[in-house]
Amino acid sequence: MRISKGALLVVIAFTAPLIVELRTVLAWVNVELTVLESAVLGIGLIGVLLVWALWPQSQNNATESAETE
Amino acid sequence: MTNTYIESFPAEAKVVRAAFYSSFLALAIGGLFGIVQTLHRTGYYRFMDSADYYTVLTAHGVLLAITFTIFFLVGVFTWAVTTSLDRPVEDIRFTWVWYGLMVVGTVLTAIPIFAGFTDSEMSASVLFTFYAPLQGHPLFYFGLVLFVVGTWLAGADWFRSWWAWKQEHPDERIPLPTFMVLTTTLMWYIATLGVAAAILLFLLPWSLGLVESVNPLLTRTLFWFFGHPVVYFWLMPAYMMWYIMLPKISGGKLFSDPLARVVFVLFLILSVPTGIHHQYLDPGIAEGFKFIAMTNTMFLLLPSLLTAFTVVASMEHGARQRGGTGYLGWLKALPWRDPVFAGMALAGLMFAAAGFSGMINAGMNINYLVHNTFWVVGHFHLTVGTAVALTFMAVTYWFLPQVTGKELWSRSVALGQVVLWFVGMTFMSNAMHRGGLLGIPRRTAEPQYEGFEFEAAVGSVGELDAQIALGGALLTLSLVLFFANVIGTALNSRSDDLPANEYADTLSGPSDAPLVLDNLKLWTAIAIVLVIFAYSFPLLSIIERGGLFGPELTELPVSIGPGLEYLSTTTVSTVTTAGETAIAIIAGVGS
Repeated sequence: MRISKGALLVVIAFTAPLIVELRTVLAWVNVELTVLESAVLGIGLIGVLLVWALWPQSQNNATESAETE
Repeated sequence: MTNTYIESFPAEAKVVRAAFYSSFLALAIGGLFGIVQTLHRTGYYRFMDSADYYTVLTAHGVLLAITFTIFFLVGVFTWAVTTSLDRPVEDIRFTWVWYGLMVVGTVLTAIPIFAGFTDSEMSASVLFTFYAPLQGHPLFYFGLVLFVVGTWLAGADWFRSWWAWKQEHPDERIPLPTFMVLTTTLMWYIATLGVAAAILLFLLPWSLGLVESVNPLLTRTLFWFFGHPVVYFWLMPAYMMWYIMLPKISGGKLFSDPLARVVFVLFLILSVPTGIHHQYLDPGIAEGFKFIAMTNTMFLLLPSLLTAFTVVASMEHGARQRGGTGYLGWLKALPWRDPVFAGMALAGLMFAAAGFSGMINAGMNINYLVHNTFWVVGHFHLTVGTAVALTFMAVTYWFLPQVTGKELWSRSVALGQVVLWFVGMTFMSNAMHRGGLLGIPRRTAEPQYEGFEFEAAVGSVGELDAQIALGGALLTLSLVLFFANVIGTALNSRSDDLPANEYADTLSGPSDAPLVLDNLKLWTAIAIVLVIFAYSFPLLSIIERGGLFGPELTELPVSIGPGLEYLSTTTVSTVTTAGETAIAIIAGVGS
């Protein structure tokens, strides 16, 4: 893992305000999302985060990461 | 054996534990009323009469904003003084006396509030902001007086400990946690003069029937004299935790003891002469006085920004001690699995957002846009509802083992709880802010009107209501997890494997701080002078115009039924008079 499970949980939680307000921001540039589309986008973003966090690191990085644990 | 608080100060640990449990009881009841209101306002589930909404709102506000926060504060401050001075309180019986007084005060205040749910004549559905013309039962005010006197005696207890310590250590600097307690207590003494005057001189005699009327603007102004600094009274223990616990839990040291002292001195000086910013829309206070209050309020950003810098610098130091590297890479090295750390860090993050919405509240011109709207409710759910409440819940996971000698029931549940609070509050508070921008009012049981709909720029009001209900449900679930952990820990058996009772060391210590920072008399004198500057002319002007006990005033009934009757009688009489006047004019013109 690239980050600890605790950090991953907090990062996922932090996507909540981003997703909630992304709709407002996109509306400024005339992109109107429905609630469902926002939810799908949110799930997609969390999916990307999970893939990034769980993707095996290269050996060098992994050693570095293990030292910081 | 580890050196926990309960081992070092067994008698004090009992008081601190009692204060925490009192605080949690208030949190449980207040939190329950929170979800009831959420579901009622949004229209998802209404099982009570809308007139009772205001009784629920009063209980929610008083129990959470006064009881939960201040009971927790007195627990933390007693811990801080005894730990940092490394001495027990001077007389534990006196400590129990002020705690008892606070409990009795709470019970007496709660009785008339809860009587509002019954058919009894007794009622105090006057909301947390209990100024005139709403009138509560005398017991409500009497209970509040006892509660505040309890906090005054608690402050005297902490000063007494410091004074005794000072006699034995005449050349030493005041330890930082004690310095924080003393400056906050001084601020509280000044701030509560306003509410003491409002209750003892006006509201209580009025409620007892000793005086016929009061000047509503005067009681409002005296309330806000106290009502804004009380926010800092809640916040200062959270700040204390961010300064002395967060760096330690991050694995490092506090970046600067002198900066921390400057911040607490600034709060002592600036907290009180700002209350009029809650009254920007009140007629009867000149614009110039409001401008002074706005300027003072904007100065309060300074200690908050200093705190943001110092606390983040301390966290970065801790992360780098743990092997963190890079401009932002150090963030990964922080102990995110620790619920104490994660909860406090998320609370701090939310507080940054609260600071931004607070600046909008504080600005005289832009305040007109959001005044008395749902925006304000969103704002204080980020400040007291998250920065304070989430920090208190997070540090509970450190304090409970210290004051019980028992291991925390579940760290995983604790981590889930603090994260859930963050997510729940994100949904609820965001929607409240946005609702306020649409003009949706606060303190309203049914903000749905026939023939009128609030129009959202993005999405719909229905979606905002859904967000609020979802957020409220997540917050309730988070509270359930919190109480499961508190009860689980209380039922655990004693443990010998607990962390020691310590707080963060400093990178730049007290010896780097100018001696003048510890001159409490000087800062108190400056605070009093600023209060005189900010309040003497507005108060004189209010009294000159409206009188000490006001023009003739009939108290408004506090329940909806008689209220509507009063409104309809007044409307009918006004319309009749206007009609008669119009007929007379037309007749005059015709002739």
